[in-house]
Amino acid sequence: MAKKLGLDLARPSQQHLLGYILLAPAVLLVAAIIIYPLIISVDLSLQNVKMPRIGAARKPVTLGNYEKLFTSPEFWMACWVTLKLVVTVTLGSLIAGISTALLVNNKFRGRKIARVAMALPWAVPEVIAVVIFAWIFDSSFGFMSWLFIKLGLTDQMIKWISTPGAAFWALSITMIWKGFPFVSIMTLAGLQSIPADFYAAAKVDGASAVQRFRWITLPLLMPILGVTLVLVTLWVFRDFSIIKVLTGGGPLKSTQTLSIMTYDQAFGFFKFGYASAVGVITLIICVIASMLMLGRSPKTL
Amino acid sequence: MERTPLQSILLYLAIITTAGIILFPIYWLFITALASTDELSSLPPTFIPRDPDWAIFSRVLTERPIFLWLFNSTIVALGSVILSMIVSVLAGYGLSRFRVRGGQSLGLFILTAKMLPATLLVIPLFAVFRNIGMIGSLWTVIIAHSTLIIPFTTWMLKGYFDTIPRELEQAAMVDGCGPMAAMMRVVLPISTPGLAATALYAFVLSWADYAYARTFLQGAQTNWTANMGIASMRGEYTTDWNEISAAAVFVATPIMLIYLFLERYLVGGLTAGAEK
Repeated sequence: MAKKLGLDLARPSQQHLLGYILLAPAVLLVAAIIIYPLIISVDLSLQNVKMPRIGAARKPVTLGNYEKLFTSPEFWMACWVTLKLVVTVTLGSLIAGISTALLVNNKFRGRKIARVAMALPWAVPEVIAVVIFAWIFDSSFGFMSWLFIKLGLTDQMIKWISTPGAAFWALSITMIWKGFPFVSIMTLAGLQSIPADFYAAAKVDGASAVQRFRWITLPLLMPILGVTLVLVTLWVFRDFSIIKVLTGGGPLKSTQTLSIMTYDQAFGFFKFGYASAVGVITLIICVIASMLMLGRSPKTL
Repeated sequence: MERTPLQSILLYLAIITTAGIILFPIYWLFITALASTDELSSLPPTFIPRDPDWAIFSRVLTERPIFLWLFNSTIVALGSVILSMIVSVLAGYGLSRFRVRGGQSLGLFILTAKMLPATLLVIPLFAVFRNIGMIGSLWTVIIAHSTLIIPFTTWMLKGYFDTIPRELEQAAMVDGCGPMAAMMRVVLPISTPGLAATALYAFVLSWADYAYARTFLQGAQTNWTANMGIASMRGEYTTDWNEISAAAVFVATPIMLIYLFLERYLVGGLTAGAEK
């Protein structure tokens, strides 16, 4: 039996207090490790600092970092790369993920194994996925160039990682391979929540397979696909490991997204103030983008 | 739904082809580790090595501190799991059982946590940790990981606690248990499956990280995590593909095995919060 404290938390009138006490550690930790650093970030972005030292005299508030940012071609280039990558990878992952989910949602022998197998890339850590694809896209003995030659698409080895256009595609394919299983898993969960009665009823009414897909599966899948779309988009927006280890943002910054630019400005060039400004803008874009997307599919999350 | 034999064959064909394309890169990783150097530097590529070089796995273990890296990754992941579980069991239970102001906005908060670019957050965290002299310590990564994991684990656990009838605790409290004792002795023991699934999900999230570890531990080679070690083996000009692939097999296999055997639990974690 628990000892009664002076504060009798078992009494209904004080129970809501216990709720707050239980939440306190989580709130404190999140405040210290997420909220407080975010405030520092915004503060840093408004100062002209190279390496921040807490306790050092504050530099005067300036919008210099943001002015420099909006007039820098590198920033606009990074925006463009991010947009291209987000669209390519999200679209690729959605197509691959939804079609594999529809495929294994059929009833057949071994479907459990097929389901697990098709989502296996989800379990491969991003850095390992990069190792695999860096070799597949190798410029001298890579599998992909050999395949392209075999298929008659080119007549020589392609320097995937060191040519700007090709590097973007190598990166996109790596990210799609790593990202589509999530879409597949979410879609399957959505498909399974559709009651079988709906299909049976539609069949009685004489609906064809295509009609059943168009008028039952698709509309009922929409809410979960909306959330998935947002989550995949945010993942591409924020990704660091795949891009950093595969291309490092190069060649010629052709794969440098906003996320990579933030990191390199801080830890490559030690411009913490400027880097924070890039990061803050990235976050604002993320928030606006997901609000726009979620606004289209309300009542999810 | 009835299928004609032709449709069945087409379905199986489609499934086998798709699975083959998806799994090919993983197969390729193993093949690259096992193939001889000559086979790696020739075209057409070798699909089945003539003389698989199994010794590569023991060789890479002596040449690179793989076990140390794996050990560090395990410490970080276990530390993050323990810390985030303690905090989120309390928070999840609080949200499930008590009316807390602002509790409804948890879903929104999780989404916000998903939006935060790691590269933005590491800048101030690096500054803070450097000022208190913690850079290079595994604790920095544990604290960062667990905080980022907490919103998700709290959400999963709240959902799980919601499925447990309140009457159980009420009965215990009638028998004289305090509210905390009722939680510890009645609710937690029957929540083991939910706790295990949540912990597993947290472990995988922590194991996969590269950004935080790289930023905080780069200077402390003995504290490198597995992902950092592997990334460091990818040279700027030349890479020993036999060696890096064998090392990658060591890092990827534990997580793939966890996934293969416990897929059901992990998938629950992934979809939790999305379909409410």
